[in-house]
Amino acid sequence: MSRKRIVQIIASILQNAYIPALFVGGIYQGFLKRGCTPILNCWGCPLALFSCPMGALQHFIGLQLIPFYIGGFFGTIGMLVGRMTCGWLCPFGFFQDLLYKLKSFKMRLPKFFSYFKYVVLVGVAGVIAYITAEPWFCKLCPDGSLIAGIPLVLADKTGDLRALVGWHYYMKIAILLGVILFSITIKRFFCRTFCPIGAIYSIFNRFSLWRLRVDEKKCIECESCQMVCPMHVAIYRHQHDIDCIRCLDCVKICPTMAIKHEIR
Amino acid sequence: MRKVFLIIIVIATVVFATGIWYGGKLGDFIETETVGSVMCLSCMGIE
Repeated sequence: MSRKRIVQIIASILQNAYIPALFVGGIYQGFLKRGCTPILNCWGCPLALFSCPMGALQHFIGLQLIPFYIGGFFGTIGMLVGRMTCGWLCPFGFFQDLLYKLKSFKMRLPKFFSYFKYVVLVGVAGVIAYITAEPWFCKLCPDGSLIAGIPLVLADKTGDLRALVGWHYYMKIAILLGVILFSITIKRFFCRTFCPIGAIYSIFNRFSLWRLRVDEKKCIECESCQMVCPMHVAIYRHQHDIDCIRCLDCVKICPTMAIKHEIR
Repeated sequence: MRKVFLIIIVIATVVFATGIWYGGKLGDFIETETVGSVMCLSCMGIE
């Protein structure tokens, strides 16, 4: 197993390590929820120890408050490592990596779909959240369904929650199923097209302290890096690509060692 | 030129980190802690 996989597994467990929820149910609501994970991980997951920064961001936007903490949090991580957290720490990204390993026909996603995540960030998590004072991205988020909505309803012993399930719940399940189906055929479909957290970090990819560097003299344009890349990025063409998640798979596969990672 | 970029990155990082600290002073941490208890179930479609 690769180092990246081990880190992904450990990160997924550490961020969702509220073991008592397995025995007594409920959602952890303690002190640690003041902190955010640097990736998409629903607050409502019974095992989640930390808050989701996207939910928190929309909460502040809905209250019409300037999100100093969340803005600073995104900015600090983005300036230091760009989109690296997507590649190494995100459980939903990890889930999509595993889905793509399933045998099926595979499709390539045209590059312009990558820009749709900015529409989601500004439109859904920004403007609509501001106007309605509701976290509308959370209301559609497939990660929330997977790690919070489904477990909460399945673990509901009293049947109270099950009685409250309505059309919105089933719509979210349908979105999750759609994302799962597309993720089997397209590499990290959700991360590339919809994730607003990825959209924020991607802005910092060009400026981050830690970055990838391609030696054009050594590159033979064999495209091995693009083939192995979980985001299907042609890193030899765009070394600061908005979709590069700094997983370093390309660094390992490059036959001429033209790709390196460095601190500026 | 490289040094200038590095200085700009360090300054920007410090500014963002200051944002975290300032947000904490304004009560953002406590507000974040309560985010889900306000909206969690309705976001799941359980309401």
